[in-house]
Amino acid sequence: MKSGIDKNTLLKRFNRYKMFYLLMLPGFMFLVIFRYVPMLGLKYAFYDYDLRGIGDFIGFEHFLDAFKTEGFIRAFTNTLLLSTSNICIQMTLIITISLLLNEIRNQLFKKFVQTVIYLPHFLSWVVVGAVFNLLLSRQGGMVNNFIKFLGNDPLYFLGDAKLWRGTFLFIISWREVGWGTVIFLAALSGIDPQLYEAAKIDGANRWRQMINITLPHLVPVIIIVLIMNLAKIFNLFESVFVLYNPLVYKVSDVIQTYVYRSGIREFRFGYATAVGLARSVIAFILVFGTNQIVKRLRGESVL
Amino acid sequence: MVKRKSLNQDSVPYTVFKVFNVTLMLLIVTVIMIPLLKIIIDSFDGKASETIFRLLPADFTVDAYKLIFSRPAILRPLLISLFTTITGSIIAMTVTALYAYGLAQRDLPGRGFFMNIALITMVFQAGMIPLFLVVNKLGLMNNLFAVMLVHAMDAYYLILLKNFFEGIPRSIFDAAEIDGCSPIQTFLRIVLPLSKPGLAAIGLFYIVFFWNQFFDFILYIQTKPELHNFQVFLRSLVIETDTQGLEGFSFASQSLKNSAITVSIIPVLVLYPFVQKHFVKGINLGGVKG
Repeated sequence: MKSGIDKNTLLKRFNRYKMFYLLMLPGFMFLVIFRYVPMLGLKYAFYDYDLRGIGDFIGFEHFLDAFKTEGFIRAFTNTLLLSTSNICIQMTLIITISLLLNEIRNQLFKKFVQTVIYLPHFLSWVVVGAVFNLLLSRQGGMVNNFIKFLGNDPLYFLGDAKLWRGTFLFIISWREVGWGTVIFLAALSGIDPQLYEAAKIDGANRWRQMINITLPHLVPVIIIVLIMNLAKIFNLFESVFVLYNPLVYKVSDVIQTYVYRSGIREFRFGYATAVGLARSVIAFILVFGTNQIVKRLRGESVL
Repeated sequence: MVKRKSLNQDSVPYTVFKVFNVTLMLLIVTVIMIPLLKIIIDSFDGKASETIFRLLPADFTVDAYKLIFSRPAILRPLLISLFTTITGSIIAMTVTALYAYGLAQRDLPGRGFFMNIALITMVFQAGMIPLFLVVNKLGLMNNLFAVMLVHAMDAYYLILLKNFFEGIPRSIFDAAEIDGCSPIQTFLRIVLPLSKPGLAAIGLFYIVFFWNQFFDFILYIQTKPELHNFQVFLRSLVIETDTQGLEGFSFASQSLKNSAITVSIIPVLVLYPFVQKHFVKGINLGGVKG
């Protein structure tokens, strides 16, 4: 008899909440149509699918194809190279700036600096790309005007394969480093001030306090941010898209821009889906693997 | 009792460090601000391209702005941007808030399921091509609703809003139910007014997102360039003319480019103080545990 009663109450509960289901319907439809139905489309990674329509099931042929294509290998290495150097540069800058900013006692000045350095993050990549395109332009750009003023030849920062990567890494840092300090400053302000008081009484100077109190408290945050960054390694896209051009494809083309060009521009839907899927799988392995390593090292998982 | 002076608060090395620190911070502020100031100041300057940096325009003019607001080819993308920002934010706010309202009902049968299908999308998404194919099949290509609907609900903001709703005392809901309020009435008369700060925060996030939206227009609006928004216009005005010599806008003067960028920055600057406040709070609240 018990199950009968259960069924009854469950029915009653459903009845009571049917209005809520109705209200949740738009969100539910959105999730199904624009997030889950596309996942079914991942099967095209295993089909011959281009402008002529969906063809035969071809198994892993697209994947084998990709790893034999120079364009894909180039995009893959560029992504790894740009992302890892970006993470190294950004993490160093973010941690240094956070620690230094944390030492500033004048709250008004600190607030001012924070306000300024967070700002670029809220500008679209198009605006950032446009700003630096103008500043770095060979005709009348500020930077090249200055270089000419010093008596040197103007440089084509965004069109010269030798200069592109450095320029790109500078611009991406310009936009993101300030914002990156938010999490670290929050963690820093959460450290118990009594620890510093105690250290002071024990005669530890500021340097020792930083090494022995501040940094150890930052380690978990650093690890989490690192893992989150690893997850985003293959997301590198809009920044490259607005800053690259055919002159520098060799050093700037990344997986996502490659997917865009092969899928949308060249209509190789099956192939581009396969590349995109490979990208997700590799990213997942990276994050999962790092988490496992961290678990081994620290005895606890952070995710 | 004599107050003991802190051990090294005023030592010479520490003072040197303080001076160095403040100088470095000012340097960073300068590096961030110079590019933006250069663009904004130059947009008012008729002789912009000959200078390196100037705090006040040499030849003050607002001609470039007059040009922007008089040319349909420039005004239209701006209006499209306004339209998708407002409509997109309203759609996203409605969809997100209603879903969050349901999730905030602790006894809702299937609550875990509805929560999980949203959470999974934070980690797993099908990617560019499969989503593009779905939009294409739905017949939404070259339709402004494509660019708005594919971002109708962000899982992260959904969780923030759900947490906000859950912060409302249960007794208020119970009282409303006893008084005969339907869920919709409760939502409109009680939940929304009590959640103004949270709604404002997420509304601002969505506004900035839709104003800055760019790639979706390239992806979903391919054969109707008249539906492109201001960001896409800005890209072809500034970036493509420089690197690819795109025809059409190559006549654009330096000050027109500067002022177009400024026009795109201004709404963000206006909203920025509010956004910053809420964003920082939001990250500390719902983000990573330290």
